[in-house]
Amino acid sequence: MPTATGSDEAGWVQAARVENEHTWTSSLPGIESRPVLEYFRGMVETVEPVVLPDIETEKQAGARSELEPGYLVICWDDPVNLMDYVTHVFQVVFGWPKPKAEFHMLQVHNQGKSVLTRESMERAEHYVHQLQSYSLHATMERDR
Amino acid sequence: MKLVRKEKDDFVFDIGKREKRLLLEVLKLYPLIPTAHHGVNKTGGATRSAENQRLLEESLAERKRENKRQLLALLNDEKRFKETDRGCHFTLGAAQMEWLLQVVNDIRVGSWIILGQPDEKKGKPVELKNENARYYAAMEFCGYFQLTLLGAFGGQT
Repeated sequence: MPTATGSDEAGWVQAARVENEHTWTSSLPGIESRPVLEYFRGMVETVEPVVLPDIETEKQAGARSELEPGYLVICWDDPVNLMDYVTHVFQVVFGWPKPKAEFHMLQVHNQGKSVLTRESMERAEHYVHQLQSYSLHATMERDR
Repeated sequence: MKLVRKEKDDFVFDIGKREKRLLLEVLKLYPLIPTAHHGVNKTGGATRSAENQRLLEESLAERKRENKRQLLALLNDEKRFKETDRGCHFTLGAAQMEWLLQVVNDIRVGSWIILGQPDEKKGKPVELKNENARYYAAMEFCGYFQLTLLGAFGGQT
């Protein structure tokens, strides 16, 4: 929008000046003697809005487990799945490097189960479905 | 059965005539694990567990139908088996190896379920009978084929 100052004065402002100067006054009390141009002049000044940042005291954020209940994906030991096979499945499903996959496989073998990951309900379901499609005994439990 | 070479994404196995026959016979058992065998939740305490179980069973059933379709295509694809002096060369892509591994493991675990889920560590040996003997054999053969496939994947996973 063009400004109406000095040489930049817009055409419609100049027209208003010619037509209204000394001939039109406002009907509002207190400003009846002021020509309309005064109001145009008042409008042309750009007032920088002063916006100060709100200062709010941030509430203490809760731990992640409080904010978003998670689900643990657990793989259970069974006497039929081969250890190499279980390692391979962990690598494929989770994209883990072999040492990590072997670590969890051995945990399953020696301790009877291994918590593989903590995820949202949907992601945990996805992993359980993946693991079970490979015939591994996998379940999901809500993380307390 | 052993890996003889790897060409790009294809794995070529040398497989004897009897081994091939054995493999094809074992694969005909697929699928063996009942879809209701696996539970989503160990204790049954999770929310939405009934819905989860239904989704799981649907998902597994769909996966098995797809595996069965691919399996039938594989068994009927003579180009995969090239005759050699001692047997044939059996060619599989990496993705086919992956699902064949799932299929073979399904037969192994399914056989184990049919055998009454024996567990030597817990003093529960296999109770062999005439009716279940072929499942014991299938379980052992599947273990052998699985190790061959896993060995072929080797260091690439």
